Amino acid sequence: MKLRRSMLFLPGANAAMLSTAFVFKPDSIMFDLEDAVSLREKDAARLLVFHALQNPVYQDLETVVRINPLNTPFGLADLEAVVRAGVDIVRLPKTDSAADVHELETEVERIERACGRQLGSTKLMAAIESASGVVNALSIAMSSKRMIGIALAGFDYVMDMQTERGDGTELFYARCAVLHAARVAGIDAFDVVYSDVNDEEGFLKEVELIKKLGFNGKSLINPRQIELLHNAYAPTEEDVDYARRVVAAAEKAERDGLGVIALNGKMIDAPIVNHAKRVLQKAQASGVRK
Amino acid sequence: MKIVKEALAGTLESSDLLVKVMPLPADRVEVVIKSEVMHQFGEQIRKVVSQTLQQLGLLSGQIVIEDKGALDCAIRARVQAAILRGASVEQLDWSKLS
Amino acid sequence: MNDDIDFYTVDPRKNWDEGAEIQHMLTQCELDMEDGIDVFVVGRQGHRLVACAGLEGNIVKCAATVPDLRGESLSLKLMGEVIHLALEQGHLHLFLFTHPKNVAFFGGCGFYELAEVPGYVTLMENTPVGIKSYSEQLRTLAQPGKKIGCIVMNANPFTFGHQYLVRLAAAQCDWLHVFAVREDVSMFSYRDRFALVQAGVAGIPRLTLHHGSEYMVSRATFPSYFFKEKGMVGDCCSAIDLILFRKYIAPALGITHRFVGTEPFCQTTRKYNDDMKHWLQVADSESASISVVEVPRTVSSNIAISASEVRRLLHSGDLAKMPSLVPRDTLNFLSGYHYAT
Repeated sequence: MKLRRSMLFLPGANAAMLSTAFVFKPDSIMFDLEDAVSLREKDAARLLVFHALQNPVYQDLETVVRINPLNTPFGLADLEAVVRAGVDIVRLPKTDSAADVHELETEVERIERACGRQLGSTKLMAAIESASGVVNALSIAMSSKRMIGIALAGFDYVMDMQTERGDGTELFYARCAVLHAARVAGIDAFDVVYSDVNDEEGFLKEVELIKKLGFNGKSLINPRQIELLHNAYAPTEEDVDYARRVVAAAEKAERDGLGVIALNGKMIDAPIVNHAKRVLQKAQASGVRK
Repeated sequence: MKIVKEALAGTLESSDLLVKVMPLPADRVEVVIKSEVMHQFGEQIRKVVSQTLQQLGLLSGQIVIEDKGALDCAIRARVQAAILRGASVEQLDWSKLS
Repeated sequence: MNDDIDFYTVDPRKNWDEGAEIQHMLTQCELDMEDGIDVFVVGRQGHRLVACAGLEGNIVKCAATVPDLRGESLSLKLMGEVIHLALEQGHLHLFLFTHPKNVAFFGGCGFYELAEVPGYVTLMENTPVGIKSYSEQLRTLAQPGKKIGCIVMNANPFTFGHQYLVRLAAAQCDWLHVFAVREDVSMFSYRDRFALVQAGVAGIPRLTLHHGSEYMVSRATFPSYFFKEKGMVGDCCSAIDLILFRKYIAPALGITHRFVGTEPFCQTTRKYNDDMKHWLQVADSESASISVVEVPRTVSSNIAISASEVRRLLHSGDLAKMPSLVPRDTLNFLSGYHYAT
């Protein structure tokens, strides 16, 4: 169960950031070759990311690369580079349908074969950035065994919806749709970037909301947001205590060969045990809520 | 591979490097490196640059590098980017670039 | 994302509104708008103009950032955009003139000091191996001898006057180096001028003819706003040119003497000769001083032969006197030129 609370976006053309970002320890690090890189620098950014991915400092971190769409002159070259360089997850922008994912998957598999990378080892993440994407969220989420999560991307989505980013009302349906699709498919759901890096209060409010909704994590554009997010996602002391007891009860039941787990006279079933394990995992990653 | 036109890649921002390439009339490769950490890392930078040029099979060109404390991976990336731009190479053989 | 600065280019001659905004920003930074700028790189933070830099060919002019955002990052990004723009237009090697107090600022953006007129203006270039490479190249062409001469000529066109000067200087020196000025804003193109010089000095022993370089600063490359009010334009231009000569070019070739013809007609050239004596012989410098030898011009019919006179006659279509003013190759060229135009 990989924790993916925080995914830090880094502009792929920025050598300084690529050289130093590993110190921040987000759950995943995302190198952006798409919107954060000017047309002129696409080739240079691709090379920077190609080499950064192979740098030992990134071997312990989960790496994601947002490639350019495959129907641009850059997308395929991006894919060649990053799959060969060992990226963990390829993020496909502007995913409108399952067909987009299949097209990507075909190319990924071809490259894995060509460079001798273990087939299936390159995972995928679909970014939903339009009304079509939202409406097709379920089929997108179920479209590939490689799909580990779907992410809602706010900026392009609200433009497609002919509205603007505001207090979150504009994302209401999209968030729910993406979340449900992810849960049915059994994969992660990620929320949008909060772009006002100076508005800590606004950021935390949004984090509270998406945490309540059930999102696994959020895309971040500033390292300062990482700790804030991890803390907001951290369980309380009581949560942790209870979770420990649940897990202990489950382990005891298994040792005793019992088919049923009981705690405080109540039956505990699998979903509750899994939830308790996630709670302990979060607590281990960043302690209890401060 | 030969440099056929002037090109550049990178920036002078901290932890990055600026690489400029120029054609040379003869089949000769000239490398000039200027770095604020020349004393401590000059040799290392030169080594990485040399390796990169060799991997690309560069036969001709002048490379001028102004380093601002970049890591090896950035050095490789910027040198490759500048040379590929200067050699007008479109199709890359990724196995030669690691 | 709010702090992001967007960079793009502006043609000040087409886009007057933005041109005016740029001018306003320059005034804020205590700079004048310079003539001749082909294109500007501008940086905007939201709607606000915060940075600009102009390009005329390979010369950076009017580079400025707003006072409240002064700091390395913005100027680095600005100059980064400038070098990319310049490259798109075919220039990798850039020059910049600035007040000596700004040298550190541009030094942080990849420019290196070439020459300073103390307290007035500094010339910089954007490569650590520009003048160094050039000097090294020149060094390979150095010749042995105690008295090494040099002539720098525009030769617009090459006349008997030029030929006389070259022959006289070559005879007096162990070796003579002749440079043809590369600036291409003269009446005749550099290619034509050089060819005529080459023909005109053929056969003169112990002589090397060199192509001109970007390191011979010309009025065309010098921003005229420098000290316009003080009337120092020409002064600063020649000063930079001569300082470069004394500091880099002369030592590379071992030049001890520089020969010039006296100038009866052209006031600016006469002033240049005076400046030469100051900067090459008299002024304080870490480099050895160079003797300036002024040679009285040859005459034809009691009128000193000069290129400006030849051009004047050509303009007025009066070719009768030409054979006595210019050698055969130049004469052929001028006849062809006259009938073609």
